[in-house]
Amino acid sequence: MLLGRNTKNPIVMVDKKITEWTYSTCGYCSVGCSIEIGKNAEGKIVGSRGVGGADVNRGKLCVKGIFEHELFDSAGRGDKPIIREQIGEAYRETSWDDALDTMADKIRDIQQKHGRDSFAIVSTGQLLTEEFYTLGKLTRGVIGTNNYDGNTTLCMASAVSGYKRSFGSDGPPGSYEDFDHTDVLMAWGSNLPEQHPIIYWRMKEAQEKRHFPLIVVDPRVTMLAQNADIHLAVTPGTDVVLQNAIMHVILDEGLEDRAYIEANTVGLEQLESEVAKFDPDSASKVCGIDPDTIRNVARIYAKADAAMSIWTMGINQSTHGSDGVVGINNINLLTGNIGKPGGTSLSITGQCNAMGTREWSSCSGLPGYRALENPQDREDIAKYWNVDPEFFPKKRGLAETDIFPAIELGEIKGLWLVATNPMTSLPNTARIRKTLEKLDFLVVQDSYADVETVQYAHLYLPAATWAEKEGVFTNTERRVNIVRKATDAPGESKSDLAIFNALAQRFEQSAKMNFPDKPAAVFEEMKSLSKGRLLDISGMSHDLIEEKRGIQWPYTAEEAERGEEPLQGGKRLYTENGTFSFADGMAKLVPLPFIDNNEVPDEKYPYWLNTGRLVEHFHTRTKTGKIGNNNKYSPIPFMEINPDAARELGIQHQDYVRCVSRRGDAIVMAMCTQRVPKDMVFIPFHFFDCVNRLTLGLLDPHSRQPAYKQSAVMIEPIADQQAAAQMSRERRAF
Amino acid sequence: MLDVRSDEPEYSFLWDKETKAVNQHGNLIDLIDEDSELHCQSLNINGDPGIGDNPNRYKQHGFFLNADNCIGCHACEAACSEKNDNPAHIAFRSVGFVEGGTYPDYQRINISMACNHCDDPVCLKGCPTRAYTKYAEYGAVLQDPDICFGCGYCTWVCPYNAPQLDPVKGQVTKCNMCVDRLEVGLKPACVSACLGNALDFGVVENIPENRIEAKTAIPGFPTTDITQPNIRFQQTRSTHREMTRTDAMPMKYHKDDSVGIFKPKVDKKSGDKKHFNWRKLLTSHESAHVIFTLSTQAVLGAFLIIVSAGLINIEALSALNSSAVKLPLLGIMFSLLTYGLFKLNMHLGKPHRFYRGFNNLRLSPLSREIAGVSGFYTFLMAYGFFSIFDNTLFNFLANASGVLGALSGLIGLYYMYKIYRIKARPFWDHWQTGSAFFGNTVSFGALLTGLISLPLISNEQALLALASPLMVLIALGLGLELIGHIAHSRAMGSLENEGAASWYLQTTQYGKAWITRNVLLGLSFATALLLLVTAPGGNLAFTAWWTLALLMISAGAISRSLFFVLVIPTTMPGAFFWKNKAFEEHARESGLVDMEQVGVVRELHGKFKLDELLETIRTTSPSTLYRHIKDIVVWKKIR
Repeated sequence: MLLGRNTKNPIVMVDKKITEWTYSTCGYCSVGCSIEIGKNAEGKIVGSRGVGGADVNRGKLCVKGIFEHELFDSAGRGDKPIIREQIGEAYRETSWDDALDTMADKIRDIQQKHGRDSFAIVSTGQLLTEEFYTLGKLTRGVIGTNNYDGNTTLCMASAVSGYKRSFGSDGPPGSYEDFDHTDVLMAWGSNLPEQHPIIYWRMKEAQEKRHFPLIVVDPRVTMLAQNADIHLAVTPGTDVVLQNAIMHVILDEGLEDRAYIEANTVGLEQLESEVAKFDPDSASKVCGIDPDTIRNVARIYAKADAAMSIWTMGINQSTHGSDGVVGINNINLLTGNIGKPGGTSLSITGQCNAMGTREWSSCSGLPGYRALENPQDREDIAKYWNVDPEFFPKKRGLAETDIFPAIELGEIKGLWLVATNPMTSLPNTARIRKTLEKLDFLVVQDSYADVETVQYAHLYLPAATWAEKEGVFTNTERRVNIVRKATDAPGESKSDLAIFNALAQRFEQSAKMNFPDKPAAVFEEMKSLSKGRLLDISGMSHDLIEEKRGIQWPYTAEEAERGEEPLQGGKRLYTENGTFSFADGMAKLVPLPFIDNNEVPDEKYPYWLNTGRLVEHFHTRTKTGKIGNNNKYSPIPFMEINPDAARELGIQHQDYVRCVSRRGDAIVMAMCTQRVPKDMVFIPFHFFDCVNRLTLGLLDPHSRQPAYKQSAVMIEPIADQQAAAQMSRERRAF
Repeated sequence: MLDVRSDEPEYSFLWDKETKAVNQHGNLIDLIDEDSELHCQSLNINGDPGIGDNPNRYKQHGFFLNADNCIGCHACEAACSEKNDNPAHIAFRSVGFVEGGTYPDYQRINISMACNHCDDPVCLKGCPTRAYTKYAEYGAVLQDPDICFGCGYCTWVCPYNAPQLDPVKGQVTKCNMCVDRLEVGLKPACVSACLGNALDFGVVENIPENRIEAKTAIPGFPTTDITQPNIRFQQTRSTHREMTRTDAMPMKYHKDDSVGIFKPKVDKKSGDKKHFNWRKLLTSHESAHVIFTLSTQAVLGAFLIIVSAGLINIEALSALNSSAVKLPLLGIMFSLLTYGLFKLNMHLGKPHRFYRGFNNLRLSPLSREIAGVSGFYTFLMAYGFFSIFDNTLFNFLANASGVLGALSGLIGLYYMYKIYRIKARPFWDHWQTGSAFFGNTVSFGALLTGLISLPLISNEQALLALASPLMVLIALGLGLELIGHIAHSRAMGSLENEGAASWYLQTTQYGKAWITRNVLLGLSFATALLLLVTAPGGNLAFTAWWTLALLMISAGAISRSLFFVLVIPTTMPGAFFWKNKAFEEHARESGLVDMEQVGVVRELHGKFKLDELLETIRTTSPSTLYRHIKDIVVWKKIR
């Protein structure tokens, strides 16, 4: 039929007239999707699409990736270095030479007066691996401060620490392909649809082909929890108790894999005596999961041919974060579920290159998973870089979350922040503001000049972002993938690599060292330092990585020489018995006593405060807060509150309310939903001057990661809604 | 033709091997007959003469949503907006949700919805500019934003909120089914982007692999009998008995075990307290419609009275035939109607494209209303002009204009009423709309006539003679309106759908304003009756008429404003911020709207771009104009 007219009208549809696609890897989360950036004949970037032949995402992208090309001309980008003598003064534009000379002088000055470690550096998970490696070389080999860390302490430190404690090294042993083989999947504090939608899709694809039970541990009824076969609505901060109880059942009922344990682990006896204390009946009183369900879950998991666990911030961001990771590893070691198809402990990482910084930035040690504590490692790197091994500290310095208290105490006088925004991201904003005010010199190096921490900086350096430069990222499944340059950075912005190199030149010590300009040349150094190590990348090259749409490590020069193609996916670690990274090749079963040290709700602050992520936003919104087709789904902060609680408090759906903790207050819009229990509220963490005004952030003893998800708050209705709206509006510059 | 890249994943390709003959609405899935001339024609996408080789090109296609699987990740919405280059405030596809249960037994059902390319596209039938076409190719209902003049009527009639009115561009746009992708065998961009394996697409009634059902409804989805939409659902997981909406709409959905589907019910979200809410009521964006409908009705009523007075020899009305009375009255009527038409025209997204309102006379009640009212306006002017002269020829011309004006005015009024009989807007879809419109025509027409003419009549006897029948008319009109309101209130109060939700708002959020209206209307009626019986003269008559006028105008303004503000369409559930009317309002009030990335824009009025209009006049050849007019009149349905 032709309804509506006699003759057909020509159809007009949007044609972006893309003439060139540039291959890249998404710069948001750690899933590591291959993405192509489309440019029209005038050279303007107008589109993006998922790469069809890439194993990770197979043509798909999430809501952020689909609009990632709009980053390049988004608001708030810096284009010139700006400087001022004191905070409170206005900034003035300056030249790069002047900016970097001043910076080098200030670093030298502070270090001379207060010691080498009085200047601290906090980087990120956002840079390219070549840049991380170069920053590590500059910090460890030239500047020589031991107070150097990445903001990965806020997201992945517990996973790193847990992997090291169980397996002897960092490095997630599994692969996305494990979803295709597993017989049960347990997700601990991980909400794939919201946080890692592409991994969710890979999981869903696998599950639709071959159903396997999904068990979700989460105090909130997330979409994943709702879709789970079993949802364990655990009491916040008590995952370790649940894990111990599960192990109690496994060992009690003889469901463990004795042969695997004997061939691969040490410490069974100590573990057994610890978990003996956690019978399901007592454990259920603490963790809130009934004893029958604990037994049921333990049996399902232990009896499966292959079982895997994934986790994200629900485990990591807790005072028992590292323990929680070890607990997951313990369960998998007991049941023989490491290093086999469908059996793994797979931490689902946060930032696009959190893995790259863990591997190569020297933040917590030396490049290539080397440790400062290991004399041989210090020797090897010193030789390779041509520095005196004695210049290196002999043990790791402060983590990010200890650097800030050290500033508070006056031990650290200068700070260089690279692509991180602690004003929004660290717990207890009020304390962070006071801390930043104390600095003699703060440098903020970021793609965005409106990143909130610039309020306290003395020098701001504009950096290129994502595909304005070239280099590699490593994703959650250890896949090294490449970002190709699609466009120039705005104004005078420089790539972080160029900034590091230019700063290095201003220190005498760098003269005898090599700081290559080209990312590919830096990659060659990394390859050579990776030879024979767990994270061997010596078989890769930038071009081969692009051709294969990413390569999982290890892929060695020997394999490449033998003509062995890298696997498309499914590369695993610890596949052979007794090949763990401890000297004896055995993994450790670590007993996990539980001490409840969280701030728990009481009469005065009767609600749990839970925090987390939204799919449309990334981190502190400096990127997604400016892209309308991301931002519009949550343009202002809101709070999920149970309708029954709201009714008692006299709060209506969509009212602004005031949340108060022992640290401060925040204004949010109430969303009444039964997704949260009556004694809990949930506030997304992306917004400036919001939830982190409330959070306590007790630190994990092993990883120094803050417990963002366990604080206590009270909630007050606001009579003057207009004033609240204005206050909320004023806190949103974007 | 679109380039299909070499590594395009398999899930992107259409999969229909076999197709059914008839859909669940009883319509043929084959859109054209075998020998139809519509075969093998190019869609002419961006001037491309290519013809797609899709084997199912002439079959009705539709979306398939597995609501069990939708995770609300926005990938479909983003992929659509990326492809169509939509700004933040426009989306062809949106995801909303309904939720039910109590923690931790909580359930949220996300619903991703775009256009359903209906068998009976009410948008197409409503659009006065004929911007819509339902194509033989895929059964796609496509809209041409260049033709659209931004009246937004399609957004009123569509039950699914598919057409999107962009206040910035002053035009509507909507889902285009990605026909460019279908031509090369690819599914629409939103479907290819889906991360929950929830969204699919194919020949309607075909159930995708691994799916087991193709239902026509899920909770929150409006009734399908309005448009016979081409979307099918799977929703097999147990649902809670009651599913609620997070947006501000006072609706929820209750499972009806007898039929196994969910039925809408009122959700008293803002309690039972009664408010005046004057500011929102009287300054709404729809106030242009209030002014237009009331002024047109009053002027039409007055015109009917004057023309009758001229044509039929009624002693009581004869005073109206004197030029001293008639001409000032006509002058004021002309001004009033001009103002109403001006308000209405400037309410359009593209006011300078007003002439396109006649394009769809064959199908659109709105087109017919525009034609009727335009005719009335023209004949009113002619009548006024000819009435200036008193000779046989001009009297004849005046009377002829009067008859034609009355006819076109009545046609206009009838279609003005038909416009609001929208199934997707149950609050309007009641005969009360008609009783109010016709009643107001009579009552306000008589009031207007009386207010202007009576002071001009010096003869006390003639004045009394005229006042009396006018008062009868006022009382009749008001009576008719009153009866309509009583019946409407009863009907809405006993409904369970969006009409009941409107009724809930009428009696709570606008409860005090509504009561005020009722009191004013009652007083008007009582006053009219009193004046009819007492028939006062002199100054008392003057005071009485103006008192009645104040009562009637206040009641009328409140009444008509309530009519527009209260209507609740049968739209899809929104989300907490996105597609939540209350948040949009809040963003406009609080200034959040100034950040364009908030995705809300102000309610803007279009600009009358005279240069564009002149350019069109200059560049349109007589033959084009002739063909255009012929197409309006001569029209065929092709199969």
